[in-house]
Amino acid sequence: MGIVIAVISGKGGVGKTTTTANIGLGIAMNDKKAVVVDFDIGQRNLDMILGLENRVVYDIVQVMDGEAKMKQALIKSKVNENLMFLAASQTKDKTVLDSEKIKKLVEELKEEFDFVILDAPAGIESGYEHTIEFADAAIIVVNPEVSSIRDADRAIGILDSKSQKVKDGEDVQKHLIINRVNPAMVESGEMLKCDDILDILNVPLLGKVPEDRAIIEASNQGKPVITDNNSEAGKAYKRIADRLCGKDVKIPEFVAKKGGILGLFKGMFK
Amino acid sequence: MFGFLKKKSSANTAKDRLTIAIMSDRESTHYPFMDEMKAEIIEVVKKYIGVKSVDIKKEVVDDVEALSIDVQLDK
Repeated sequence: MGIVIAVISGKGGVGKTTTTANIGLGIAMNDKKAVVVDFDIGQRNLDMILGLENRVVYDIVQVMDGEAKMKQALIKSKVNENLMFLAASQTKDKTVLDSEKIKKLVEELKEEFDFVILDAPAGIESGYEHTIEFADAAIIVVNPEVSSIRDADRAIGILDSKSQKVKDGEDVQKHLIINRVNPAMVESGEMLKCDDILDILNVPLLGKVPEDRAIIEASNQGKPVITDNNSEAGKAYKRIADRLCGKDVKIPEFVAKKGGILGLFKGMFK
Repeated sequence: MFGFLKKKSSANTAKDRLTIAIMSDRESTHYPFMDEMKAEIIEVVKKYIGVKSVDIKKEVVDDVEALSIDVQLDK
């Protein structure tokens, strides 16, 4: 029986889908069976990040409505055969989601996979509540920026009240990923420190991912950045996936790269 | 160097503003189950005594969170 993890955020655009794709692949690289599910009905995006947009035939809504079998709808990753993908519907809207159907779908996936990772819509949107309802754990993605953090706190509030686990008197595990950290800005006091964010949100840290040009490049090519061994963000996602698989991997402090004219200039005055 | 000339870093400003904003968000947040819970409390109290209204507030003092439930009786 697998574990169901919802990847959530307060506002959109903080990197949920990228995180979902990379964590899914990272788990698969640990020889565990993983499935990533796009729950952002009407805004299909995970297929692009995984480079599988041309292979989508059936989507999650068709599976839930019994119009397609799960086996027909699951798409195998190009990079790792332990990873499968289930696409969101592009034509329907989020109102089609129904608790009973989601429960059935999630339970079916749990039988088959070690990790079921759900890419949720942003916390302010309808459809968010449905995605978290049957999750055993949640990964909250934030950027070191005020609106993202404030909205994340609200999304966590909804998680605490709507999750079936909480209603059953159990705990829903929470993990925080701080995404798009710019070490130079943190050093100069222009960006919130990770510790400050942890103080405010009071959720344990799962990992930090630095801002990295390689992420855009990876999404251009439809190859998750974790496959790029030279990218700092890719390495960060690898560490996060390893931690989720139970490995004891430290969270390193990022240091700003000294370089360029500005870096040289700063170096001279130190 | 020149640290004493710098004004307060913007990250610190962000932290202070966020702490206050989130505290007030959390206080005013009426979780989605609040209405349901209110209705149930009214039902329970009604069995024994007339009740006019129920008000539930979340209070946070340091690390302790508490719900304060105000039941106004119907005379």
